This record gives sequence, structure tokens and C-alpha cells, in this order.
Amino acid sequence: MSKGLTTAPFTLELRAQCHWDWKVAFYLYGAGSSAGLIFLELLLRRWDVIDEATALWGMWIGLVLALVSLAFLFTHLGPSARWRFLYVFRKPASSWIARGAFIVTVLVLLRILILLPSVPGFTGLPWGEETNGGALLRAGAMLFAFAFMAYSGLVLSSWNSIAFWNTPLLPILYVAYSFLAGLGALPLVVLATHGGEKMGAVGSILWPSLLLLLALNGFLLLIYIWGMATATVAARESVRRLVSGSQRGSFWIGVVGVGLVLPFVMIGLAAGQELANNPATTLWLATGCGAIQIGGFLLRDSFLRVGIYGYPV
Amino acid sequence: MARWGFTVDLERCVGCMGCVIACKAENGTPPSIHWMKVVEKEEGEYPYAKRTFTPLRCNHCADAPCARSCPTGAIVKRPDGIVVIDQDVCIGVMACMSACPYYVPYRWDGEDGYYGEEKVPYETVKYAAFKKGTAQKCHFCYHRIDEGRPPACVESCPADALNYGDLEDPESRINELLRQKNHFRPREELGTNPSLFYLTGKGGGKVGGGK
Repeated sequence: MSKGLTTAPFTLELRAQCHWDWKVAFYLYGAGSSAGLIFLELLLRRWDVIDEATALWGMWIGLVLALVSLAFLFTHLGPSARWRFLYVFRKPASSWIARGAFIVTVLVLLRILILLPSVPGFTGLPWGEETNGGALLRAGAMLFAFAFMAYSGLVLSSWNSIAFWNTPLLPILYVAYSFLAGLGALPLVVLATHGGEKMGAVGSILWPSLLLLLALNGFLLLIYIWGMATATVAARESVRRLVSGSQRGSFWIGVVGVGLVLPFVMIGLAAGQELANNPATTLWLATGCGAIQIGGFLLRDSFLRVGIYGYPV
Repeated sequence: MARWGFTVDLERCVGCMGCVIACKAENGTPPSIHWMKVVEKEEGEYPYAKRTFTPLRCNHCADAPCARSCPTGAIVKRPDGIVVIDQDVCIGVMACMSACPYYVPYRWDGEDGYYGEEKVPYETVKYAAFKKGTAQKCHFCYHRIDEGRPPACVESCPADALNYGDLEDPESRINELLRQKNHFRPREELGTNPSLFYLTGKGGGKVGGGK
């Protein structure tokens, strides 16, 4: 099927955009979460909360996630036409997509540069963790990571064609969700690199922060939906489809239940336990962190699906 | 330099879809892609219910959101105000489709023709003008405009509901209509500055609509 509202009947009614699908949602989630992960692990490494091995592994995982997200975005481009993808950088003065392409490219390059000294054969490169060059690269990576998190919301909010997206709260919500997914991924990285025994050491910082971020994201989501429920006709229709229409399952079960309530309860209950000696509690926490990732993706996906155009006339 | 504009007289449109077919015949757009549409709406209740018809097409906005959103610069505005897509530059991001409040652009991914995979000679010739995976939309029949002929939809309209002309020329037919009839532009509040005017009845108005 051709893309666009091609099967729409010739009647005047509110229509949802249908061409930006789950691939774009995965890109916004994957690259955003990856940016959140790198930002937080550089910050926490700076504060000596996590060790170098965790930071490096997190960076590798984040890099792979960003590249996979970009691969999804590539397949979303037009068949045949997608091979001219380098044209995407041509109009940064007016297009948020072009700006995002610049940001994500620089971020990937910075990550590769930061990771290179840890690769056998490149260990002598003069921008290791303790050098000025390394500090500069890390500062640049944090800057571009934050820029990408904001971009993932700005690209949608910049268009006034779809009222549900056209609000300054969307970039704020997406930044908050990127931080949440990044922070939720960090315990999984710790678990993968050190097993359960290290979880207790980092937990004193991570668990309260995660609970706080979960509560903050829930609050932002509530404000967002509430605000849109009193906005234009198209925005109200978006809210209707989200909370009681076609996307209600994805929203209530996925975004709210799995993405916010479940991890809040699991982390809240498990955080007080002795983690090092209790594999079951560690598993609880890991499950909670995994649930955050599912909620993060479903938020982007359902928000894209309920993007309703206003009446064209 | 001319700035081409378009008027749609909502009192005259009878919903015959002649413009839709004329556009398809002229430009050979693939199945399910309609550069010109006439949407219907039911208004009122029995026994006073009526159907209204609203022709929709690209408004060739002066501040086109599709062009602003396009990262590749594939969507460009000609000096005469016609917004066209350079299919050699488009990569099929579909940002224009999200950004356009009139949901005008489409992307053709090289699907079958009207009669299945094997295309009839007409389709083979016409589809050759479209690059697979790129966006497409109404281009104001610029090939006809450049030859001094009206767009196909205007030429085909039996009710004289569609008109076009130079907005910069005070004596043009389109400005005459705008002086004679009340009019509005679609979603003007969004700041797109469309070049299309809907005429709604007698009464006149300022030349150039919202200026």
C-alpha cells in the first residue's frame, strides 16, 4: 500500500497519521534511551558511582542500541530512495529531521571515539578517560546526548498539523522518558558485567533515583494527557483514542501498567532487600528495569498512533 | 512574477468528482493516490439534511510546512509559488506527510497498478514519472501552466467551481472572484499562508484573502 492516507474515504472527518509507524517509534525509543544511558553513565562515572568496566559496557550496549534504531529508521525510508540517505543532512536550518540526523551522527562518532582506547590495538590513543582530550569527548557526548533526547520530542512538537504533538511538554516528556530508560538500563548493564553482587553497591544511588524518575514520568504523563484532554478537537480525539479507544490496551497495560506501575512496585519492594545475597530480589529488579524499557517503547508507539490531524478545512 | 492561486467555489461544487478523474488522467497517479480529492460531509438532520462537497488539493502554501520539514530540500517553491517535489532528492522520510495539516503528500512505494502486477501501457508510461519510495503531490499541473493552459482539474470542472489565476494581477479572474465573493483559506490560523481560497457566497472581501 502506498503511504499516506491512501485508503481514507472521501469524507470530512478526523484522521490519524498512519505512515510513521512502530519503526519510527523504535528509533525514537532506542536512540533516545541510548542517549539517556550514555548521559547518565558518564555522569555517574564522573561521580565514581559506577566503575570503568560498567561505563564501557554501557557505552557499547548504548552504541549497539543506537545503531539498531538507525537501522530501523533506514528501513522506514522509501524503497530504493533510501540509498540516497546522505541527503538527510541538507536542510538543518529548517528541518528538525536534518538537525536530528546531525546530532545522532555526531553522538555515534563521539561514542566510537570514546570507546576506541578500550579496543585492543588502539589503547595508546591520547584521549583515554583520565586525559583532557577524553574529558572533552565525554563532555561533548553528554551535550549531544541531551540534545538528542530533546530532539526526539522536538521533531514531533514542531509540527502544528497534529495538535496532540504540538506542545512544548512533549520534548520535556521525552527527555524524562529517555532518562528513565537510560537509568533503567544501567542496572541491567551492571548485572551483565558484574552479576548481582555489584547491584547493592550502586543501588543506594540508582533505586531512589529510579523511583523518583518513575514518579516524575507518571506525573508528566498525567499533566500531558490532562492538558490535551482540554485542548482542540483533534487533540481531544487523540486523548480519546489513547485512553479509551484503539490504543487503550497499549496505553493502560503497556505504558502505565508495565512501564510505570509494575517497575515502581517491584523496585520499591525489592530495593530495601539485601541484594547481594538474594538472587530472587535481583531478578525482581532486573524485571522491573526491563519493564521500563517496554513502557518507553510503547509510549512512543502509542503517541505516534494517536497523532490526529485537524480538519483540513 | 506571477503567484498562482486557486479558488474553489463551495456553492458551485456538486461533487461530480470530474476534477479527481481529470487529475488522475492527466498525471497518471497510481491506485489509492489522489492529488485531488472531493470530500463529503453530511450536515443537518432529516428532512433538512444535506451533503456538502469540499474539493481538497495541495494549497501551495507560501510558508509551506512540508518544505520546512523536509530534511533533504526535495520540496521546493518555484518563483511563481508552485510547490514541487524533486523526486531525485527525496528519500521518503515522510516528514512532509506528517507536517502538512491538509494531509496532501503521499509516498509511492512502487505497488501494483489498477489491474494488478502487470501494468497496462498507459500505466507503464505514466508511472515512469514517479520514482519508487518518494513523496508526490499535486504540482498545480505546472507543465500545463508553463504552456499557458489551465490545470486539468480546473479545465474539467463542469460547474465552474474551480478557478485559478495570478494573485499578483488585480485584473485576473481569481482576484475578480475574490472581490465578488466571501472567502476563506483553509486552516489559516496555522500560518501556512495557503494560495487556495474557498468561496462561500456573495459579499466580497479583501484581495488576497487574509492579507
